[in-house]
Amino acid sequence: MDRRKIDVALSTLLIILSVIILTNDNLVEGGAETDLSSMFLPRVVASLIIIFAATIAIQSLIKLSQGTQPEGSEIIITDGFSGIFIYIGIFIAYWLSVPYVGFLVATPFVMFAVAMLLGGRNWVPIIATSIVTPLLIYYGSREFLRVFLPTWSL
Amino acid sequence: MFDNILNGFSLILAVGPILGIILGVVIGITFGAIPGVSAIMAIAIILPMTFYVDPIIGITMLLAVYKSGIYGGSISAILINTPGAAASFLTAQDGHALTKAGKAGKALNMSLFASITGEMLATLVLILVAAPFSLISLQAGPIEKVFLLLFAFTVIGTMAGESIPRGLLSCCLGMLFAMVGMSSITGASRFTFGYTELMGGFTFTPMLIGILVMPEVFNVIRRRRTPHHEMMITHSPNPADNRISFKEFRRVFGTILKSSGIGTFVGALPGLGSSTAAFIAYGEAKRTSKKPDEYGKGSVEGIAAAESANNAVCGSSLIPMLTLSIPGDDVAALLMGAFLIHGLTPGPMIFFEHTETIYAIFAGFLLTDLFLLGIARAGFKFFVKMASLRRYYIFPCVTVFAFAGAFTAGQNMNDILILILFTIMGYGMRLVGLNPAVFIIGFILTPFLEQNLDQAIAIVGTEYHLFFASPFSWVFIALSAFFVISSMRMRRKAKANIATAAAKRKLA
Repeated sequence: MDRRKIDVALSTLLIILSVIILTNDNLVEGGAETDLSSMFLPRVVASLIIIFAATIAIQSLIKLSQGTQPEGSEIIITDGFSGIFIYIGIFIAYWLSVPYVGFLVATPFVMFAVAMLLGGRNWVPIIATSIVTPLLIYYGSREFLRVFLPTWSL
Repeated sequence: MFDNILNGFSLILAVGPILGIILGVVIGITFGAIPGVSAIMAIAIILPMTFYVDPIIGITMLLAVYKSGIYGGSISAILINTPGAAASFLTAQDGHALTKAGKAGKALNMSLFASITGEMLATLVLILVAAPFSLISLQAGPIEKVFLLLFAFTVIGTMAGESIPRGLLSCCLGMLFAMVGMSSITGASRFTFGYTELMGGFTFTPMLIGILVMPEVFNVIRRRRTPHHEMMITHSPNPADNRISFKEFRRVFGTILKSSGIGTFVGALPGLGSSTAAFIAYGEAKRTSKKPDEYGKGSVEGIAAAESANNAVCGSSLIPMLTLSIPGDDVAALLMGAFLIHGLTPGPMIFFEHTETIYAIFAGFLLTDLFLLGIARAGFKFFVKMASLRRYYIFPCVTVFAFAGAFTAGQNMNDILILILFTIMGYGMRLVGLNPAVFIIGFILTPFLEQNLDQAIAIVGTEYHLFFASPFSWVFIALSAFFVISSMRMRRKAKANIATAAAKRKLA
């Protein structure tokens, strides 16, 4: 994947967002009157973002218009991206399920799924690790840190 | 000061802090030695566990993880030629050559001794320099602090990014994210879009784990089909090949001292980090060596130079953080977050407001080296075995620790959503060449900038020329300009070198 195209798209998006910050007064609510308004620093930062994003976009656009081949860090290698999407999916499912089924029930499945994703096929030690680790974290958090991880609520 | 140091030792020599150091050292070496897991990952995962203990125990434990994690990186570098951290790249060259020659014990021992010597010297410099330097920085008022912070943003953004605009853009994005939520000055809610959950801003721990730690898990998942390398210590029948004699250590001691000095100096400058220190020290050691040809092919002196320099950075990188509130690199930024969470605001006032705690932390930092020496020497085989664990045992655990760590911060499931979103953002930033560490530094320092800017405006009123009345302002403006120009020159030079090398390769 050609990173220069992403640079142009991302810079455009950042510039649009920065222009919104610079022009929209509804992004801040309430607050006391001070010498420095609440939007002073965000607007300074937004102006800087416009400058830096535009610099990156212009550099990439010049290279793209010259038709030069991307080299070094300008090439994004997308091999193995499917694994990342599966991992994000697992993590989102974990986030959604924990409030209902609890940490102790959801975690072994997540650990098992991540182990499988990483190519683990030694079922017995993987299952053992997937069961023992959440138990240790759950009781360790409860007893030593006084942190109560979510429990079954269905 | 010496009374404070002695008092610090009396506080640290208790069961809790000592157990914290031991645990930190074991975790640090193990995580550091696992390829794909770095010291920063270990610190970020351990951080939430320290919330509920005394700052002396918690911070000392994190610092122990940091020091031993940097050392641990050299184990995988030496044994399987896979540096746990970029700073161990040079150690991998010489160390692995020694491993192949059956002298892994010699390489591991030299790496350990050099690391500990470098760390100890830098820690001593930290202890001796930080407090007096903080007295000078105490003279700075809000106006000077504004310029100091602008200097920090400029230096870190220009030096640490892939390119200057990308580094500075990373910093600006961090600053913008720091302004989400209720303003600590005016009480106004900014960028909350009506969501009350955003009033408190983004929770630091899940954001930190997401930006800095989880993208490393993504990298491992992407490389999941590459074969696993088993680590093993090769033993030579000649016992002299498996250890470092006092004579050998004495021979390289000069190199270690010089490299530690370089590491300490480089570490104290914001934005450069341990890799730069290792490369400069290695180059200098090679230049002055009697046997420069051996470098890269199994030189014990080369390992000593690289390791002492990259470990010396650990201590000295805390100098700008503790005296000026400027974290010099990503680990220092993370540690600064840890200090803040524990109610200690890094900066010159820390030496007056939390004298006992800070000197106890210093004592613990020094003591860590002794524990590192003992534990690493006694447990080489154990750490090698732990680091050889297959990735499908390690990364499911990292996932769950990250989840539990993010939840622990606020005991809130919304923090897990923050973790997921910032994980994606952190990985995306890496793909497009933005620097997540600079983003975090921008995020941490912005509240300080806004507070000081508000005070400075209140002082100068409408007479804005008073901003430039102090010589400090001009010094920091000049320093910022110097760093930007020198960074541009360095990058241009590096580009020219690459182009020359490519042209030579084409001709060949």
